[in-house]
Amino acid sequence: MKSISSVLTGLLLVIGIVGSSAIFIVDQREQALVFQLGEVVGVKTEPGLYLKIPFIQNVRFFDSRILTMDSEEPERFITSEKKNVLVDLFVKWRIIDVKQYYVSVQGDETLAQVRLAQTINSSIRDEFGNRTVHDVVSGERDEIMKIMRQKANRDAEKIGVRVIDVRLKRVDLPQEVSESVYRRMEAERKRVANELRSTGAAEAEKIRADADRQHEVILAEAYRDAQKVMGEGDARATAIYAEAFQKDEKFYEFYRSLDAYKKSFKSEKDILVVEPNSEFFKYMKSSSLDQEK
Amino acid sequence: MGLNDPQWGKRRGNSGPPDLEEVLRDFNQKISKFFGQKGGGGDGGSDGGNPEGPSAKGIVVIIFLLLIAWIGSGFYIVDEGHRGVVLRFGKHTETTLPGLRWHIPSPIESVEDVNIGKVRTVEIGYRNNVRSKVLKESLILTDDENIVDIQFAVQYILNSPDNFLFTNRNPEDTVLQVAETAIREVIGNSKMDFVLYEGREEVAAKTTQLMQDILDYYRTGIAINRVTMQNAQPPEQVQAAFDDAVKANQDRERQVNEGEAYANDVIPRAQGVAARLLEEASGYRQKVIASAEGDASRFEQVLVEYAKAPRVTRDRMYIDTVQQVLSNTSKILIDQEKGGGNLLYLPLDKLIQSDPGSGITRSSSGTANQQNETRSFSSDIGSRSRDSLRSREREVR
Repeated sequence: MKSISSVLTGLLLVIGIVGSSAIFIVDQREQALVFQLGEVVGVKTEPGLYLKIPFIQNVRFFDSRILTMDSEEPERFITSEKKNVLVDLFVKWRIIDVKQYYVSVQGDETLAQVRLAQTINSSIRDEFGNRTVHDVVSGERDEIMKIMRQKANRDAEKIGVRVIDVRLKRVDLPQEVSESVYRRMEAERKRVANELRSTGAAEAEKIRADADRQHEVILAEAYRDAQKVMGEGDARATAIYAEAFQKDEKFYEFYRSLDAYKKSFKSEKDILVVEPNSEFFKYMKSSSLDQEK
Repeated sequence: MGLNDPQWGKRRGNSGPPDLEEVLRDFNQKISKFFGQKGGGGDGGSDGGNPEGPSAKGIVVIIFLLLIAWIGSGFYIVDEGHRGVVLRFGKHTETTLPGLRWHIPSPIESVEDVNIGKVRTVEIGYRNNVRSKVLKESLILTDDENIVDIQFAVQYILNSPDNFLFTNRNPEDTVLQVAETAIREVIGNSKMDFVLYEGREEVAAKTTQLMQDILDYYRTGIAINRVTMQNAQPPEQVQAAFDDAVKANQDRERQVNEGEAYANDVIPRAQGVAARLLEEASGYRQKVIASAEGDASRFEQVLVEYAKAPRVTRDRMYIDTVQQVLSNTSKILIDQEKGGGNLLYLPLDKLIQSDPGSGITRSSSGTANQQNETRSFSSDIGSRSRDSLRSREREVR
């Protein structure tokens, strides 16, 4: 009994070992190549459980996801106006033909990326060489990316790869050019600042001048109106006087003169040097009543 | 399973955990009973007397236990906001919702837990703190070939766990790459002033849209929640000039305000003066009219009485007046007829000195002698004397 169980155990073990080397699992994220003594005999692109001949066949797995090629350092390219720009980009690609991929780049991802980078670099050079910085940065960015993707794909097919997308990440000016851009921006701001300040001064001056004008006008108009009113008063007064005084002009003259005398001499500081000849003093000289006659 | 066994732990009281061997033995008994082994369960099975029976049974038990443990290992819990992605032999079969779940245990099926509720963040142009800038990310060329310094934060969640897991390698890095390219594309299409000032929200919105489009194209299973512009500034090298321009704007406003302040001071003041002038004028008008009416009325009344007895009234008025005049003034009465042509010396200067600054009027009375020069002169009337004059005027009235 004991021997039977141990034999059973041994058998199970062997089956386990052989079985485990006879099956392989392709993950959702992978595809696999089955090699039989160096020859590719199977391409497994669908995930699942597969069988192989143990020891004779072996399997290599490749990523089936979208991979990224992100350039480490931005590279210099020259635009049509002979300006240098630093370009940083990334490429999204995936393996579509594992066999081709294995044959052309030995399934080496870095090798594949180098291949792609070369193609893309030359197409950037072509595209940028025909365009200005402005076109590259804004105007035709989308178009350039599309063209690069198409060009890259032509080459990528040869290595069993599809370029999903080529995207320009950064398009920058090199340091020395950036400096001159900064200087220009500075000058422009200075212009704006000066303009703002001087228009401010001008506006303020305008407002002040307008205020002064209004001031003058208001005062002058007020003077005019005031004079008009005063004139009305004077006229009316004159009319009143004339009407009253016309009634006896002689008496008015007399009456008015007396009034004037009263008003003219009323201070003790006024010194009158008078002769007794005046009518007032006539009785001082003689008391005769009929003097008048 | 063993937990429900009433024997569990009771045998040995509480002297530590039950011996595995004993438990097994106990379990064997139950199993044999269960499988209908007659009676033997009672005593025989429990002893090691029969070497064959227990070892075969033992193997069965161990296999059974392992099977149960294996089945048990298939249980898993999906948290709220997570999804369980089940793979059978590496192939995606289903995506499970939160709760207690079971899958065919390893190695047939496996589960990957994906957190789709968590809001993840990517920072562009800075790390952790807006002040710690990453210049090569943050300096961006605009449409008008200016350079701006911008920091962005992108918040995203996963909306498709299987796409997230299976379509891209390092999808989270992809977010960063896509964010950079999208921002640069959007800003590269905008003018600097638009980016820095009025267009900030629009830039963020456009970036969100573009990022989402690209991420969908890559089928990353990522949904952008928000792209927020943390900071948008001119680069440090030109910051001073920009600040100055902002200051200049303030200056402009200040100058305008000062001008307006001046206007607001001057014009109402002028209006006040104008109002005063008009009021005064209208006061004057009323005054002159009233006094004219008064004068006229007085004159007319006197005239009525005068007409009744002109001569007497005339004399009386004359004498009254002269009296009043003379009583209020200093006077010198000179009878020159006697002296003939002699010049009379009058120490007028002394008289003046005795009352300096006062006006002196010398005149002969109405019917003056021809010999007498009639002269009147006045000296400057100082303000003091004018005051005194006025006070006297009041007294007289």
